[in-house]
Amino acid sequence: MAMRSALGRARGIGSAKDGFHHWWIERLSAIALVPLTLWFASAVISVAGADYATFSAFLAKPWNAGLMICFICAGFLHGKMGMEVIVEDYVEPRCVQVAVRIFLNIAVYVLGVISVVSVLTVAVRG
Amino acid sequence: MVQFVLPRNSRVKPGKSHKAPAGAKNVKEFHIYRYDPDEKKNPTLDIFEVDLDEIGPMVLDALLKIKDDIDPTLTFRRSCREGICGSCAMCIDGINTLACLKPIADVKGPVKIYPLPHLEVIKDLVCDLDHLYAQYASIEPWMKTKTPMPKQERLQSPEEREKLDGLWECVLCFCCATSCPSYWWNGHRYLGPSILLQAARWVMDTRDEGQGERLDDLEDPFKLYRCHTILNCVKACPRGLNPAKAIADLKVLMMERIL
Ligand code: SF4
Ligand code: SF4
Ligand code: FES
Repeated sequence: MAMRSALGRARGIGSAKDGFHHWWIERLSAIALVPLTLWFASAVISVAGADYATFSAFLAKPWNAGLMICFICAGFLHGKMGMEVIVEDYVEPRCVQVAVRIFLNIAVYVLGVISVVSVLTVAVRG
Repeated sequence: MVQFVLPRNSRVKPGKSHKAPAGAKNVKEFHIYRYDPDEKKNPTLDIFEVDLDEIGPMVLDALLKIKDDIDPTLTFRRSCREGICGSCAMCIDGINTLACLKPIADVKGPVKIYPLPHLEVIKDLVCDLDHLYAQYASIEPWMKTKTPMPKQERLQSPEEREKLDGLWECVLCFCCATSCPSYWWNGHRYLGPSILLQAARWVMDTRDEGQGERLDDLEDPFKLYRCHTILNCVKACPRGLNPAKAIADLKVLMMERIL
């Protein structure tokens, strides 16, 4: 039987003294994604239907490779933050929720690193 | 916790029907959620026909008429009947509001009345507010100062006082909190719009000297940052307040002290 007071339950184990950074990075990455997505769309259109040599020459330009990597990082970061919030809101029980969040983090970093390395490989090796 | 269907023992079944007295000309139907904890039965939706010519214009007038003349077991909270005490909050025609401020004429067809969403129902339209009151107490809604007690009152200029406008008017009816999906899913940890608006009321008060501690206590992924700016709270507030703005202002202060 739970006899803890209502106030005891509401105060719980206190505040995490954290939360601002998650919120802030989510906003910043969203703002960064606006121009990056526009650039990405125009880039895709410009090389659509082109052969591999044209595409690798496109990526070999530092500007293009750099922006591509920024787009990938911002996209993965924003996606990860958004997914985390969804998981926190909707996944129960808590042990499953924490497990999903750990898996999500690992997956995002692994996929992010692979994507960045792929861009660099194409840019450098052609 | 997220729930998309009501638990089996909370599903609402059809209930009793009470006809208007013969000769009534201006009849309106009221469909009212009924639940009696002593009866170990599912809640029901009872239908009451009320002659609008016999009562005042607000939904609360109809509820009082029903309780006085048709079914004295109908249970609901009310006190001031003018939007000040905050006790007659309920879900009328799909929107949380105060029954004493809601004109019957605003509702087309039958007036559907349910308790505030996603709270435990004690009886009929009366919900358990213990947790909300405890969350209110948890933000320590009183002035915190280090300056010793002055001889007279603690001063505040008219401009400083203006910062409390849009906050002091809250009557703690919890219409906003119980309309917020984030509060439905995570109310055990998320403070919700009502309590956060109250927290802002103390953080913004220039006489208070505990802003830093107050912000420390709020900085938490659940207590504050569960607000996803869904804005249901703004739509629900019967006093026309904007809890979402109060929450955004708190987030701006969090930002100010970090950046
Ligand atoms: S704006 Fe925030 S507090 Fe208001 S309903 Fe949305 S999530 Fe809830
Ligand atoms: S902000 Fe409005 S809806 Fe929310 S508790 Fe206060 S008066 Fe009620
Ligand atoms: S009776 Fe007081 S607010 Fe409705």
